[in-house]
Amino acid sequence: MLNAGSDVRSVASRFMSDYGMILALLVLCLFFSWVTWDEQYPTGAYAGEQVARRAAKTHQKGARVLIVARTGEKDALFAEAASAHLNEAGLIVVDTVLGQPIDARRALVRIFEAAGTIDVIVCTNAAAAWPVLYNADRAIPELLETTLIRPEPYHWPSFLMASNLLNVANQIVVIAIIAIGMTLVIVTGGIDLSVGSLIALSAVIATVLIRDVSQAGQAGAIGMIVCCAAGILACAAVGTFSGLMVTAFSIPPFIVTLGMMLVARGLGYILAEGQSVYQVPESFIWLGRGKAVLGIPISVVLMAALYVLAHVVMSQTTIGRHVYAVGGNSEAARLSGVPVRRVIVFVYAVCGGLAGLGGVIQASQLKSGSPTYGLMYELYVIAAVVVGGASLSGGRGKVFGTLIGALIIAVIQNGMNLTGVESYTQKIVLGFVILGAVLLDMLKRQDWRIFRRSR
Amino acid sequence: MGKTTLQALTLVLALGVVVGCGEHTEHVVAPAREPISAFRGTIGLSVLTMDNPFFKEIADSMSAEAGKHGYNVIAVSGDFDVAKQQNQVKDFIVKRVSAIVLCPCDSKAVGPAIREANAAGIPVFTADIACLDPTAAVVAHVATDNLEGGRMAAEAIVEALDGKGKIAVLDHPVVESVIQRTTGFEERLGELNARPDVDIEVVAKLPGGGDKATSFTAAQDLIQAHPDLGGIFAINDPSALGARAALENSGKADRIKIVGFDGQPEGKRAIKDGKIYADPIQFPDRIGREAVDIIMKYMNGEEVPKQLLIPTGLYRQEDALKDPTLD
Repeated sequence: MLNAGSDVRSVASRFMSDYGMILALLVLCLFFSWVTWDEQYPTGAYAGEQVARRAAKTHQKGARVLIVARTGEKDALFAEAASAHLNEAGLIVVDTVLGQPIDARRALVRIFEAAGTIDVIVCTNAAAAWPVLYNADRAIPELLETTLIRPEPYHWPSFLMASNLLNVANQIVVIAIIAIGMTLVIVTGGIDLSVGSLIALSAVIATVLIRDVSQAGQAGAIGMIVCCAAGILACAAVGTFSGLMVTAFSIPPFIVTLGMMLVARGLGYILAEGQSVYQVPESFIWLGRGKAVLGIPISVVLMAALYVLAHVVMSQTTIGRHVYAVGGNSEAARLSGVPVRRVIVFVYAVCGGLAGLGGVIQASQLKSGSPTYGLMYELYVIAAVVVGGASLSGGRGKVFGTLIGALIIAVIQNGMNLTGVESYTQKIVLGFVILGAVLLDMLKRQDWRIFRRSR
Repeated sequence: MGKTTLQALTLVLALGVVVGCGEHTEHVVAPAREPISAFRGTIGLSVLTMDNPFFKEIADSMSAEAGKHGYNVIAVSGDFDVAKQQNQVKDFIVKRVSAIVLCPCDSKAVGPAIREANAAGIPVFTADIACLDPTAAVVAHVATDNLEGGRMAAEAIVEALDGKGKIAVLDHPVVESVIQRTTGFEERLGELNARPDVDIEVVAKLPGGGDKATSFTAAQDLIQAHPDLGGIFAINDPSALGARAALENSGKADRIKIVGFDGQPEGKRAIKDGKIYADPIQFPDRIGREAVDIIMKYMNGEEVPKQLLIPTGLYRQEDALKDPTLD
């Protein structure tokens, strides 16, 4: 019995030391949920049904109703549901406006000129804000006799709205994917400063190839895949080169990747001739913006799959163990038969390749490739890895820890956006968060020794 | 340990799914007669950069004007990063703003962001810099007549160099407003060069990045490569001031004349001191006010023009000396 108890405790304490940042993430989510507590307005079919029911309760059969909504999928669903329920309740739908305020005005004018009346207007919350509808004394005097029904608000944190959570995941995709490679590099005790420039390089290579070789706007799926693969492989090649420089000449990784950062950025500018390359087909945005299951973007699904794969590789395979060994003590690893040089070249190649993938996703999101992409991204990637618990001196760090680090940064940025914090203040907050995370981690590892000494 | 990790993550994911479904809770309320009253709205504004006082003025005047109509403005900066601007547009969509105003960081790459707003039904307006993606729907564009401004800049540089000399251009072709300026500049220069007494040659065209630091280094390179340079056309005040700093640094300030664009207070002071020859000036406060005016007309269901171009004028040293707003 005692064994089982201490087993659970040791498992729990190991989990906390590797993934303790998850507590910080949960605390942040709770905090932002609390501060973004606000009135929310339902949309879509549910809202349409709600307003139709309210109209039916307060008006008799035969009452004339105008449905007003904006353009877009949710508004179309709203109008459909409202129309169906109104008809069911016996009210007459005079017209449905799905468009801009000017369309609403034209519909109103048309109906009133034909000597018709409107008893109720049901509309979405956004349309209810149009002066043409509510400012009756300025717009159309007949409206003074009309009731306006919009959806009832409910209270919920803006942070926890499904659309916002998906936004957070989407915003972190590029950085999180690259952070996988960066974790591997940092665990070996190195660093890769070139990833930001590699984003631009792969975006430029992929889009330039599509424009010049693959018939630009008419490029087919295979053509686009090949061009993107070329971009990713080019970046993997740059990464391999960095790895070879580090192992063959023992140049510090900081310097090697600093140099490659400039080389890659320059190459990007030359290939793109300083412009952004936008001659790509519409279907190119599939990777960056397409939706898979449940409305979750494909890029987010890809990110999740890559993280699972990386976790399996790092924890279950030989190469994973070798990476940790090299980072922990490369001399001891070498003496134990670990192919240290090959492992180091491998991690830099993987980091470069993943940066290339990140660049392709970025290009897909923006439907263009530009040599200015990824500026300063290397700092956010390194921050994600470090906040996630990896040690810059090597040997420690979990892939899922990096994911949590990336999520912490994304949540803080998103939370600050939602609460309207100025963008310059955001930079200061982010800087302190990174410092705080590393400090916390260091203190934890040293068992809070710095406080005990004063006793 | 692997198992505990998986369990913890499943828990967090489950938590996420559960809270994400919060959007669909039933809200049953006793129906009542809804009185017509004024609803406030929010306008989301994302500018190219807040470092350039030009955009700060647009943001400020928009906030002031929108406040009169009961709207508040959320102003954020894209910091020259179109990916960041796209994220800002996504945040605006989540916050369900009534309208989005953009000064795109990249006229072509901003298209997908605007299309997302289109799909969500939120009207998009552009200020100062237009969107060049034909598939993105923008309700209206408010800007200075940049083409005309570019033409005036060409006249200014010919004036400054007395009709003869070599000049260079510091541009930033990523944004449409600058493309218009350089197009107008080159067109008018071509027309003027046809005259017998005018012979201006454009020896170089370098990207100045639209900011002081990049233009400083670019101008230094220009001076090195073309020692007989007579003039520089910089597409905005920060670029012009960066070029001026480079000239002063290399001691060629008296030999090379600069024509800028914008006419911001710093630029106007430089014109007064003779550091910049002239600026076609812009009225960012008017851009902000007209943008809000168009948004309100749109919301009221009135017809709005696709494009509103505000005329510009040439501001020389004599104007600066007479200007009461400058110290």
